[in-house]
Amino acid sequence: MNAPDRYERFVVPEGVKKVSYERDTKIINAASFTVEREDHTIGNILRMQLHRDPDVLFAGYKLPHPLQYKIIVRIHTTSQSSPMQAYNQAVNDLDKELDHLKNAFEAELAKHSREY
Amino acid sequence: MEGRSYQRFPTVKIRELKDDYAKFELHDTDASMANSLRRVMIAEVPTIAIDLVEIEVNSSVLNDEFIAHRLGLIPLTSGRAMSMRFSRDCDACDGDGQCEYCSVEFHLRAKCLSDQTLDVTSRDLFSSDPSVVSVDFAESSDNPDNRGIIIVKLRRGQELRLRAIARKGIGKDHAKWSPAATVTFMYEPEFYINEDMMEKLTPEQKISVVESSPTKVFDIDAKTGQIIVVDPEAYTYDDEVIKTCELLKIPGLIEVHPKEDSFIFTVESTGAIKASQLVLNAIDILKQKLDAVRLSEDTVEADEQFLELGAHMRGG
Repeated sequence: MNAPDRYERFVVPEGVKKVSYERDTKIINAASFTVEREDHTIGNILRMQLHRDPDVLFAGYKLPHPLQYKIIVRIHTTSQSSPMQAYNQAVNDLDKELDHLKNAFEAELAKHSREY
Repeated sequence: MEGRSYQRFPTVKIRELKDDYAKFELHDTDASMANSLRRVMIAEVPTIAIDLVEIEVNSSVLNDEFIAHRLGLIPLTSGRAMSMRFSRDCDACDGDGQCEYCSVEFHLRAKCLSDQTLDVTSRDLFSSDPSVVSVDFAESSDNPDNRGIIIVKLRRGQELRLRAIARKGIGKDHAKWSPAATVTFMYEPEFYINEDMMEKLTPEQKISVVESSPTKVFDIDAKTGQIIVVDPEAYTYDDEVIKTCELLKIPGLIEVHPKEDSFIFTVESTGAIKASQLVLNAIDILKQKLDAVRLSEDTVEADEQFLELGAHMRGG
């Protein structure tokens, strides 16, 4: 009866920002990014990509509650970088990886259809 | 600062490809990427499915909502889905979701006039768009085995007449929109057999080691009498061989390690889209999702102002 609408899970409500950013008040170069209407699909690849960056001291994400359709990504970097820079870098790298994967898959598909 | 990149360059090898089935290897990436692809294929690649049903006449044994539910679950050919609009953000029809950009209309009329039971199937559904039809309607219509998906059975005098609207949606909303029957991936296993230890084994011991695996992973080479791996991918990570080796007081004879950067994917499609297209669509959707989580301009500006303010405070 009081279940939330199904579309609540993936439609960002009006007036809500998809990604909001909050600096840590106590630690320099640490921040939390709240990503609305996303889950482990984005959270986990972002976290793993951030771990590849040697300037990132800490990167983690959490899904606070299954009925709160958002994730919180927390990043702590060295003074050589900033959480925002590391976040952008991770998103760009993943984007390029997917471009590469798409080309690789299409090439393999073309090769496969020629063989048969 | 610019120019740093920690990008990976994944490689793909397709092993088997049919319209509704694909098996491929994914190398040089990690489990997070493999799992995200799997999750996107199951829950976020769009397809078209019946979403709204107006029943005109229903004197069948099944009630209206039961039939509506069954109609929703019929897979429809969804090649158009990627370029279609979601009815919730379609501006051509003010959100009532009944225009050509975001919906497809279906009609069904069936009445049983004979003494024999009449099967009402997905083949009785007539579409307003020839590119969006029931999956079995599209494939080999001359196949006598292909009788369509049964919706309801009618006896003499019973009738079913309805209008249905199909819309674009994703599996996250309702499973009827999921294009995937199953999507799985496994780590490619790597086996190490200690040859020095194997030398000391009796043939009986070798047989018991080989037979301890519930799936046929190992065998004994007929010529050399050695234990060999015949089918590494049959291994289900059940640890039975390792336990048997310990029991036989020969721990370490066989070691298995999953290769952390190699995955074997199995993709089965419902038929709504081809399995190969499903993978490609999943990559596109994941890219779109990543684009959506990029920081917006005003977030970056707000942070720069914050930094300046901080500098002021420290300076003053």
